[in-house]
Amino acid sequence: MFHVSFRYIFGIPPLILVLLPVASSDCDIGGKDGRVYQNVLMISIDDLDSMIDFDSNCLNNESNFFKKHSCGDNKEASFLYRAARKLKQFPKMNNSEDFNFHLSRVSQGTLQLLNCSSKVKGRKPPSLGEAQPTKNLEENKSVKEQKKLNDLCFLKILLQKIKTCWNKILRGAKEH
Amino acid sequence: MYFIKTKKFLLIGDSEICVKLERKSMTCRKMNIVKIVKPEAPFDVRVIYREAANDFVVTFNTSHLRKKYVKELMHEVAYRQEKKENNWMHVNLSSTKLMLLQRNLQPDAMYEIKVRSIPDTNYFEGFWSEWSPSFHFRTPETSIRGQMDPVALTISILSFFSVALVVILACVLWKKRIKPMVWPSLPDHKKTLEQLCKKPKKNLNVSFNPESFLDCQIHKVDGIQARDEAEGFLQDPLPSQPEESEKRRLREGMQGPNWPSEHPVFTPKTFIGESPFRCLAGNISVCDAPVLPSSRSPDCREGGKNGPLVHQDLLLGPGTTNSTLPSPFPFQSGILTLNPAAQGQPTLTSLGSSQEEAYVTMSSFYQNQ
Repeated sequence: MFHVSFRYIFGIPPLILVLLPVASSDCDIGGKDGRVYQNVLMISIDDLDSMIDFDSNCLNNESNFFKKHSCGDNKEASFLYRAARKLKQFPKMNNSEDFNFHLSRVSQGTLQLLNCSSKVKGRKPPSLGEAQPTKNLEENKSVKEQKKLNDLCFLKILLQKIKTCWNKILRGAKEH
Repeated sequence: MYFIKTKKFLLIGDSEICVKLERKSMTCRKMNIVKIVKPEAPFDVRVIYREAANDFVVTFNTSHLRKKYVKELMHEVAYRQEKKENNWMHVNLSSTKLMLLQRNLQPDAMYEIKVRSIPDTNYFEGFWSEWSPSFHFRTPETSIRGQMDPVALTISILSFFSVALVVILACVLWKKRIKPMVWPSLPDHKKTLEQLCKKPKKNLNVSFNPESFLDCQIHKVDGIQARDEAEGFLQDPLPSQPEESEKRRLREGMQGPNWPSEHPVFTPKTFIGESPFRCLAGNISVCDAPVLPSSRSPDCREGGKNGPLVHQDLLLGPGTTNSTLPSPFPFQSGILTLNPAAQGQPTLTSLGSSQEEAYVTMSSFYQNQ
């Protein structure tokens, strides 16, 4: 009987403390009324989507990022945070001024609405892709072009995911 | 005043704006720039008059229709009559089209109209824009406003005149034509009898007024004796006298205020020659009845009471019990005693026996009623 009480006192509470971070959200999101998203963010996302013109094959490209992160229940804010940090890497691709302008608006605007814990902030943002060993100039050129296409394809999918996640947040806000 | 043209503003949350004038220190200020938006002024204000709808269509244009962010605006249209200064009328709308009703404006007057805008308070807020350039227009005159369709006008005039004509005709013909048809009067026996006797014959004088016969030779009738001797009359012009009881009844049937007591006998020949009642038809079939002389002197004053009885007694004459009744002329065997001396007197005596009898009967009946 003494052993049973020890089990309940020293066993179960630590288990609860370990599982709580898994169930809770790392970030809080503002602007759930939809005015910021509809008047600012959605405009930039639509403009970026119109600038990126790819074939349908781009949709079948499954990246590791999407395998690791998704807009699950109670995980919408953290997904948007990681997606916004990912968007910050794309201005380095030397795109047009308007392209970079809209990219920064979406990423910075999303991050401004989010209030995440230091735990999430401390994680290193994932890189776009792994560096490939180069063989010669021609091969480098083709590899770079392929990499750019892959990045743009990834960006297109990411923007669609961000838009879907925002719609999910606003739908949940209307229901509540 | 300085202008900064940049796309670097995030449009989310506060932004910091710093200014450094010449060698002075930099001055910064944090503000939410989405709350201090001043839209561009509208332009191309136009007013079109629609005669069919009796209104004015106001349209204008704004550059914010083609913008991405500040595209939802609230517009204010202000108009006034040019004579009346500072008497502006204001209308708020979210679209770029407005209808002004003609009845709300003065006819034949010059008006001035202008427009300005402000951001809709959905996300962007700020201040009123500058007024657009004014547009001037003139409202049409009153005659055009009251102008009617010519076809409708013609129809309305024709209908008015037709109604007026009907009313006038109804007033004029009310007594003579309309009222007798709508509310027919009860028939008058005297007038009906006069109408029945109205035939275009010469020397025909039908009237219940004794004064119309002043110039006629009137023979008073002292008594009437009915006899069932139609054939006998033709053979024997002087039949036997009736019984005393019958004579009395006949006497009672006579009617007249001035009936003389003793009168000579009147011959049928004379009667027929002067009889104006041959035209009587129908029940009053006494016009052509031959007359038998009689020495009776009837009492006409008591005749009014027993008019119908006398009529029946005449039908049933002294010889009727043993002979058939004459039909359809019951008075054919009637006997009259006339007084030639009563000629010209305005009495109720008639010229013909059966004629007068019918007259007397109807008169008595009329008086009884």
